Amino acid sequence: MALLRASSQAVGIDVGLSGAVSGDGAAGIENSVELLRFAEAVQQRSTDLDDRREALRAAVGDLGLIEAAATVSGFNGLVRVADGTGIQIDEGVDAYTADVRGDLGIDRYSGAANTPDRGLEHYEITTVKELF
Amino acid sequence: MSDETTPSVAETYRRAGYEIPEHLGSAHDRHWPALGGPGDWLDGETRRRIIIETRNARNCELCRRRSEAVSPNAVPGNHDATTDLDPAMVDAVHRVSVDAKRLSRTFAEAAMAEMGPGPYVEMVGVVACTWLMDVFAWALGVDEPGVPERRPGEPVGEIPEGTGDVGAWVPQELEKVRANVTRALSYAPLTNGSWRGLVNEHYSRGEQFGHLVWDRALSRPQVELVAARTAALNECFY
Repeated sequence: MALLRASSQAVGIDVGLSGAVSGDGAAGIENSVELLRFAEAVQQRSTDLDDRREALRAAVGDLGLIEAAATVSGFNGLVRVADGTGIQIDEGVDAYTADVRGDLGIDRYSGAANTPDRGLEHYEITTVKELF
Repeated sequence: MSDETTPSVAETYRRAGYEIPEHLGSAHDRHWPALGGPGDWLDGETRRRIIIETRNARNCELCRRRSEAVSPNAVPGNHDATTDLDPAMVDAVHRVSVDAKRLSRTFAEAAMAEMGPGPYVEMVGVVACTWLMDVFAWALGVDEPGVPERRPGEPVGEIPEGTGDVGAWVPQELEKVRANVTRALSYAPLTNGSWRGLVNEHYSRGEQFGHLVWDRALSRPQVELVAARTAALNECFY
């Protein structure tokens, strides 16, 4: 979520994080509906996956589809690495997302217990390095 | 290392109508078969069985009933396992595979007391690699890759230098160079290498990770949208 916010800001998109995280939509991001529906269909292995795949392919092409598939699958591994090892979120991410995690419901995930309350306040960033 | 009976990943996907980028196919061809060989703490056959149990967990009746319970610990029973892995390892594999969002320090410490921190970390890595490979296949409507062939040899069995307690459940590299997730499996360097080799080609792509604007088939906000939604569906705080 932190990198969605930062990369969107970098290209002048004021992305609605709530809709992005909930799947309702992400204004300003091209083909966001097709991307979200595809990610959800893959995650849930739903019966409409073939349709979602073809809809995304029509929108972003073969390479875009492959990149979306690579991302969903990569993050299916990543969440298990993070939740299986109990890592803390990095301090830069902690601060950068401090103003929105509560509203987005992310602080209620059980993995939040792994990171101590550092009392950090939100600040803007301009580089990825500031997050990590 | 491909022949007619074991096509390369790129060839498998090509037959399904996809031209997989070379960097992605070669990463699959390099790192997936390596999971059939010895790692840092586990031999190849054990790693193969972890892959099998990772997949068994998706249809395990005990895992299904636990996922519906307020607490997974409230539901006793036996997993639908098809391997002879130690029961503690089977339970850990199934939990990490299908209920990772509800894992706890108490669970991890109990598992590590049974099998040791090295095997636990390595198990998490093998499970993660399996999910990456399998979900990629599902996403494109292709069959999951076969379990890697067993490769002989003994695990390294040495505690990596410079590892210790950094506040996570498992020991990790003490020095923080990049994001915490990049050192999460550092107690099992070979497996961490496989994991990072795969996820790098799927997502971060080395130096590109440090840039907020990407020149790829999808823009960075598009990729991060997919990533954020996937993390949310898995209820992952990190």
